[in-house]
Amino acid sequence: MWKGYPPARMRIVIVGAGQVGSTIVEALHSDHDLTVIDVVRDRLEPLAYRYDVGTIEANGASRRALRDAGVGDADLFIACTSRDEVNLVACSFARVEAPHATSVIRTSNIEYIDLWREGRLDVDFAVSSELETAHAVSRSIGMPAARQTDVFAGGQVQIVEFEVPEGADRAVVDRPLREAKLPDDSRVFGIIREDTLTLPRGGESIRAGDRIVVIGSPTAARAWGALLAPGEATVKDVVVFGGGQMGTAIARLLTAQDIGVRLIEPDRDRAREVAEELPKCRVYNATGVDVDFLERELIGRAQAAVFAIKEDPKNHYAATLARVHGVRFTIAVVHDTISTKVYELSGVDVTVNPRGVTAEEIVRFAHDPRTQQVAMLEGDRYEVLDMITKPTSEYVGLKFRDMPIRGAMIGAIVRDGKAIFPRSDDVLQAGDRVIVFTETKRVPDVERVL
Amino acid sequence: MSPTSSPDRTDRIRGKTYLGIDVAGALGLTGTMIAYLSLSSLIPVAFALGYREPIWPFVGAGVIAGGVGLGLQRIGHRSPGPIGFREGYLVVSLTWLLAAMYAALPYLLSDEKQVSRPVDALFEGMSGFSTTGASVIADVDALDRSLLLWRQLSQWLGGMGIIVLALAVLPRLRIGGRQMFESELPGPEVHQLAERIRDTARRLWLLYIALTAVLIGLLLLIGVTGLDDRMDPFDAVGNALTTMPLGGFATDPRSLEPFAPVTQWVVALFMAIAGLNFALLYLALARRRPRVLVRDEEARLYVAMLVLGSVVVCAELIHAGLFSGEEAVRQAVFQTTSLMTGTGFAITNYVSWPTLSIMAMIGLMFVGASAGSPTGSVKVVRHLLVGRLLRRELRQTIHPELVQPIRLNGKTVDERTLRAVLAFVLLYIGIFIIGAVLLAVDARVSSLELGMTEAIAASAGTLGNVGPALGFAGPMGSYAPFSDFSKLVMVVLMWIGRLEVLPVLVLLTRNYWRV
Repeated sequence: MWKGYPPARMRIVIVGAGQVGSTIVEALHSDHDLTVIDVVRDRLEPLAYRYDVGTIEANGASRRALRDAGVGDADLFIACTSRDEVNLVACSFARVEAPHATSVIRTSNIEYIDLWREGRLDVDFAVSSELETAHAVSRSIGMPAARQTDVFAGGQVQIVEFEVPEGADRAVVDRPLREAKLPDDSRVFGIIREDTLTLPRGGESIRAGDRIVVIGSPTAARAWGALLAPGEATVKDVVVFGGGQMGTAIARLLTAQDIGVRLIEPDRDRAREVAEELPKCRVYNATGVDVDFLERELIGRAQAAVFAIKEDPKNHYAATLARVHGVRFTIAVVHDTISTKVYELSGVDVTVNPRGVTAEEIVRFAHDPRTQQVAMLEGDRYEVLDMITKPTSEYVGLKFRDMPIRGAMIGAIVRDGKAIFPRSDDVLQAGDRVIVFTETKRVPDVERVL
Repeated sequence: MSPTSSPDRTDRIRGKTYLGIDVAGALGLTGTMIAYLSLSSLIPVAFALGYREPIWPFVGAGVIAGGVGLGLQRIGHRSPGPIGFREGYLVVSLTWLLAAMYAALPYLLSDEKQVSRPVDALFEGMSGFSTTGASVIADVDALDRSLLLWRQLSQWLGGMGIIVLALAVLPRLRIGGRQMFESELPGPEVHQLAERIRDTARRLWLLYIALTAVLIGLLLLIGVTGLDDRMDPFDAVGNALTTMPLGGFATDPRSLEPFAPVTQWVVALFMAIAGLNFALLYLALARRRPRVLVRDEEARLYVAMLVLGSVVVCAELIHAGLFSGEEAVRQAVFQTTSLMTGTGFAITNYVSWPTLSIMAMIGLMFVGASAGSPTGSVKVVRHLLVGRLLRRELRQTIHPELVQPIRLNGKTVDERTLRAVLAFVLLYIGIFIIGAVLLAVDARVSSLELGMTEAIAASAGTLGNVGPALGFAGPMGSYAPFSDFSKLVMVVLMWIGRLEVLPVLVLLTRNYWRV
């Protein structure tokens, strides 16, 4: 990992020349030196001609191929094939060949993302198409006033950034925080005012026009949403079409925000799997284009519908049919870049391209590696850390009220798989997973003492 | 030589291949179990020597059972190989039937008049090993102490399971053990305490022994300190041996009525504890993880039903003016716990209680305690799952496409398991009805005075391994007046009930025996 900002001109090795890889090449080729590795020649040739980048036809999960690509002097290594295992193996070889290069991995497995957040996966940045897409979807329908949501500990802990509008509830706005009636199980991590972020103390108050970062349970996050935007009804009924990895990830994130989700999946076995995985989601085994079904289940009354069927034509038809049945707000997950126009022409409200979103996220990281977690916290001065307390930490056994941390705040701890939002007289234990909000310059301090 | 002319081949093709299971192997394994089980007769022998009572009934029983066991074991030598999954059902069913016969031998060999007839002795033996507690002996005071102890001991041995015991101590039974273990241990799913089934079996038995020892200690203490004048060391041991397996044989003709309230409370508590899942109890006590028990949905429902039953009965007892104050609470709690867990102890002759209480008593016989405990009957977890199945069915009537896995403690339950649960409950009810009808018909034929509730209670009480029924077969009475045919019907009910229906019924299908 680079110290400070990345070099202006980098040597970048990219494994995978699919849609994600191509988008990354397109964004980065003019400023940096790129080498792309893929097993399919047909994908490499257009890139080589159009963007003047080096290409190698080989398996990215081969050490020799990586050596041939000159991974040893790379500054940045990106593994973005559609297969998690290839990406993981490629990354671990790159670690061996180029210990100082920054590594980025694309994965569809949320467990890997969690592992990376805990610092147990040896990569610098992990991106999941599914998760990024789910966030994009959730942003467009999720909580009113919420700008960005980040989920930790399997959805038990959320970090949400809100915009505080005029007319927010007086229980929390315009009065010192220590007197405000904040929802249970939540804390205000930061207040962003005029592009500077501060860790609030009890005397601080929230004002209209601010942006605030809140950590709390899903219920608390929803309570915040209701407080900050009292006029807007909260979303209670969203229908997700398609229970593939994408649809499941979207449903998972939405249910974690306490939004009622109905999911429709035509394959019987897959429907059962999704139902087992997401107890809070109602799963139907039906095709999204069965008119009887749509009418019987009053799909038209849904507040929003998300279309995550794998094939664009089916997805498009289902979306159009749902609009015919009266669904007010439609969001489509688009797989082929060109389809976006088709969806927009037929009146779909929002389109999200998972590969595009993923590539954007990786490019954003390549430009500025500090933007890992919560929606960017101004001027890179703050970070969210997700770490396990060492038994030797001097803070173990201390009450939260007695902790002399400056410029950092423990927002939540996860103990025995359950999230706890500590009160001042709770005690920190060894092995607790803590989610800390801290100034970037204090990261080493925090890591040392915990 | 042309192939068809080979006599060897013809023989091989036309030979007896239609028998799909290895009967010799199954008999051999059953023999091993019985041979080892026969060693248990040494305990009453020791007591008989101590009390200067005849030892011959026990020596005789031991020798006969040992001989039969070894004989069967010899048949097993003809078996081609180790027995498999299918033979397990035969081994389990046969072992339990032979165990009941073994338990009957000392009664036959003694000169005790009340159980001198073979059918009576078999009834008493099956009632013992199946932890039912139904008895043909009206006056247990007349029994030799060693014989009485044998009666108590048979329930204790049957409680945690003969095969579970065999798996724990015998070195040879590794393969094929898991499936037999599962068909013997009550409940739809078995909690695994260790990788090896043998270690799981050992832990269950150790916990069972430890809890029994604690209860004996407590009862002895109550006796020694004078809190209960009636409690002597023999009563302490005897009643503890039938409390832990939820058996219900008592050392007094009037069950636990003559004992002091403190004794009755302690026994009620231990019945309630013994009705918990032993695997979870082990984790809670030995591994100090009480949460697994507190969070368990079955354990919660079990406790809730105990409380609910007690409250209903208590309210009616007070309302009817039968009891008041502490006594009303004690009567309600004790009787509810005793009948729901399938123990069958009584502290009063509840036969004369008002209608709602009697209905509650019969209803509770169908509830049972937790899976993985020595209880009989349907078991709480099956009620829980059937309830959830029905709720899903209702929801799917409105939403036909809804996919809703059924969960237990947050984990989805396999649809096959759910089908088995449903089949079990239906079979259980069907067998209960057949049993009640047979008893009623036979009572008419043998001109025995048997009311409808009494026939129902006798069928439910024996099939559910509860014990006492109503009327003359109530808690203070005995099953002696029933005809021999009725007694044999009830022996079968106890047998089927203890093994949870399917292992016995599967033997009655042609498919089982065919290739």
